[in-house]
Amino acid sequence: MAQNISPEQSGGAGAGGTKHSDDSLPVKDNHAVSKRLHKELMNLMMANEKGISAFPDGENIFKWVGTIAGPLNTVYAGQTYRLSLDFPNSYPYAAPVVKFLTSCFHPNVDLQGAICLDILKDKWSALYDVRTILLSIQSLLGEPNNESPLNAQAAMMWNDQKEYKKYLDVFYEKHKDT
Amino acid sequence: MCDFAALWADVVKIFPVLGGVNQAAAAVSAGPVDEKVFENVRHHLTMFGGIDTFAALVDLEIQSSIRKVLVPKFWKHFHGLVPPELQSGFSDQALAIEALPDKNRLFTQFIEAVNELHEGFQNLMQVKPRLIQLIGNAERPALRTVKLMQEDGIKNCMRDCLLAQLPPTFSVVVGAFYWVHFKLFTKASHLALTTVDSDVFDELLCVGCNFDVEQCCCQKLTEMVNKTNTRLFEMNLTDRLTGSALTALIRLKIKEHINDTCMGIFDRSHLKQLETWLSDVIMSWLANIFSEWKAKDCMSEDDAPAPVQSFKVKLTYYMYETFAQSVIGQFFSIIIDYPDSIPAIDDLKICMEKIDMRIYLTESLRSSLEARILHPGVNTMDILTGYVAAIKAIRHLDNTGVILEMVTAPIKDYLRKRNDTVRRVVTGLTEEGPTDLSEELAKGEAIKDGKDSGADEFSNWENWEPDPFGIDASVMQYNSSRKMRSADIISMVVDIYGSKELFMTEYRNLMADRLLSQLDFNSEKEIRNLELLKIRFGESLLHSCEVMLKDVTDSKRINAHIHGESNRPENQQFDISSLIVSAQFWPSFNKESLQLPEEIETEFKKYTKAYEAYKGNRTLNWRTVTGRVNIEIEIGDRTMEMVVSPTLAVIIYHFQDKSEWTLEDLSAITKVPQSALRRRLSFWQNHGLISETTPGLFTLLEKESEEKSQFEEMSLAEADEEDLESAMASASDQREEELQVFWSYIVGMLTNLDSMPIDRIHQMLKLFASHSGGVEFTQDELKHFLQRKVREHKLIFSGGVYQLAK
Repeated sequence: MAQNISPEQSGGAGAGGTKHSDDSLPVKDNHAVSKRLHKELMNLMMANEKGISAFPDGENIFKWVGTIAGPLNTVYAGQTYRLSLDFPNSYPYAAPVVKFLTSCFHPNVDLQGAICLDILKDKWSALYDVRTILLSIQSLLGEPNNESPLNAQAAMMWNDQKEYKKYLDVFYEKHKDT
Repeated sequence: MCDFAALWADVVKIFPVLGGVNQAAAAVSAGPVDEKVFENVRHHLTMFGGIDTFAALVDLEIQSSIRKVLVPKFWKHFHGLVPPELQSGFSDQALAIEALPDKNRLFTQFIEAVNELHEGFQNLMQVKPRLIQLIGNAERPALRTVKLMQEDGIKNCMRDCLLAQLPPTFSVVVGAFYWVHFKLFTKASHLALTTVDSDVFDELLCVGCNFDVEQCCCQKLTEMVNKTNTRLFEMNLTDRLTGSALTALIRLKIKEHINDTCMGIFDRSHLKQLETWLSDVIMSWLANIFSEWKAKDCMSEDDAPAPVQSFKVKLTYYMYETFAQSVIGQFFSIIIDYPDSIPAIDDLKICMEKIDMRIYLTESLRSSLEARILHPGVNTMDILTGYVAAIKAIRHLDNTGVILEMVTAPIKDYLRKRNDTVRRVVTGLTEEGPTDLSEELAKGEAIKDGKDSGADEFSNWENWEPDPFGIDASVMQYNSSRKMRSADIISMVVDIYGSKELFMTEYRNLMADRLLSQLDFNSEKEIRNLELLKIRFGESLLHSCEVMLKDVTDSKRINAHIHGESNRPENQQFDISSLIVSAQFWPSFNKESLQLPEEIETEFKKYTKAYEAYKGNRTLNWRTVTGRVNIEIEIGDRTMEMVVSPTLAVIIYHFQDKSEWTLEDLSAITKVPQSALRRRLSFWQNHGLISETTPGLFTLLEKESEEKSQFEEMSLAEADEEDLESAMASASDQREEELQVFWSYIVGMLTNLDSMPIDRIHQMLKLFASHSGGVEFTQDELKHFLQRKVREHKLIFSGGVYQLAK
């Protein structure tokens, strides 16, 4: 299985540290990319999966808005989060830039919304698509990787789920409309 | 010195007209007068030097006698002859003539009047030679001013007076006169026409004079008429007095003749015969009137007088016009009779070259088509037949297709509104037996010409011809190209809907229905039809139809294999033959469901296994609703064998274990919705096997009930109806499916982008969703759809934007 991993690995961490250099990749023509995105959109719409959704944000098919629902049986249950997905011209050989639009209190999400997730960085593969990205992020919510936190406070609080939940609810109520 | 009284007596002897109006002098013929009397009067007049005055006096006197005596007397003959109701109200003279009750009386009256007038005229005409004799020298300049000395002076004077006092009904009288005259004249041709029943002819009245044949006075009458004609001609009155009445009468005769000889007969040409008739009958009759009477045989076309010639031009035009109108009036029948009616169309073509009737033709045809076939009472098939016939007939008339397009536009519009049109067209194309459409399809080649002409228009521009004129430009739609107009009939019919795709989809649906309902179908014929359609519409559109046909033949092979001894599943309870369809290529099936009873399902599973073993890597998805089941029912002392749909079989199957079912239970076990189930149950009710004892409870009837017989007839019809039910999803179902796709997109959109106004939703759908279905979606349709979703509480509409309901 050929996996195209971005040659410029950003070390997996760092809020603003994610840098994509599309120039170094074989740039496919826009048409093929937008065709793939159209197809992904269709699959996503037809699959009609509960809890995740995404749609282009305006006429530009390279910029999407995604929505995920907090997974059940986790502290995030009942909450919904907006994300932005920016697809590079080299997609799907390079990963899209995914960020939380709704502020998310989570060990692997910083306050600017940047996400630390391996498949969006060094583990990216052209086989991933919008649906799998969103599903991964959704499951990340319930199973954070506390080894490499972007939000140290959240990582610390994680162990006490009850306390965490209390803090999260207040945080969510405060920020959900941003 | 002289005796004035004696002199006046002499003068009056010479010129009776001077004797005063009261003596009705004009009518009195002047007796022969001695030369002595002339001498006397001349002598005296010369003596007084009043010859000029005298001539003027005579002139005046003649004029006044014409005005006061002759003319009123002439008109008096006709006073009160014409019934007052005919005097007004008839704008058309011909109609009035036709309606006259007593033509023969008018005829004799007219002859008398003309005779009298002529007599008076003769008398007056004597004046001129006598005056000359009296004066002795006609060259006196003073005499030139005297009217009666001029050429035709008296005639003109008389004509002027007559016309000045013309009563309005007179033309009717003249009409009557010529009516009789014409009848006499055409007697010969009438006789020729009626020779067939010559044995009864003896008892008939003479067609000429209406008397018994034995005492026929045609000869006498003809002589009278001829004399009258001669007199009228002599007085130079023919043209002036009788012209308009004559024209009206002839028009009437032409109309009658056309109605008599051409009405309803389209299978031979009439124009030649009409032209011969016009020149043989009408023209020679006119020549007869307008020339001094001669023996008929010495008259030829060339020496026909000028008025007759001008008449001929007028009447020929009129004849063409009348004939064309008559043909156009019957054009609907001509269309229906096509191609037997080709001679009639050819006639009309000739007429149209001579006179301009296009607008009349299109108007009349449009309205007659609308009145005759474009209403709800007519079968779609009949409209189509009419449409095809119209195309053929009108194309024969006008090969540019302009008239065709204008005339058929309403038919197309109307057919588009009928929802079974496509189905009928397809049926017509493929049905057994000769129909217009299947014949057209078999011709096959025509399309080639249609296709080529498009290119010709540019490469062959030197032969370009403008559209025929005389067409109302506003009615004409210019968007249609010449190519369209010359397309062949199949294309014209398919064109009703504007797209081949739609037509082909319907063809596919119909074919699927046919294949599913007739398991022993005639594959050769289907393949032939398919090949013909392929020539016409191209391979790609019909690809799935081909796969469908292949499925059917493949299924037969697979069935044969599975049924083969070696592969026969063990413990088989009944035979299963399957029709294996490739779902991708068949139209989507309707979504009815049916749960088979367990024992039967096992059999199906066995079959599936056998199939899997045979085909490897493939399996079967059973569509339990579609198919046919041979069942044998034994109940009480009855056995019935029948072929029913699977649903019906399953229903009755369940009754074999338990003789009473509630609708709910039965619905639960068969997974058929209750409403549909009730409909199906009625089939068995009609067969007297099941009855609804209490509402919602159905019981098996062990014994044959009384009711059964009365249901028998119904059940047959019912079963037929069952057959007709389509297994395919209807077009609206399919549309609904497409809408469902859009709905997913809309939900996705609104989930992520919160709220949007309709135009933005529409734009987004166009941008992102149109790839999936390829279906266009108007904003109106979208609005309709969104509003429905709002009613279903799936959406909230506020402040001009839509959002998802929480």
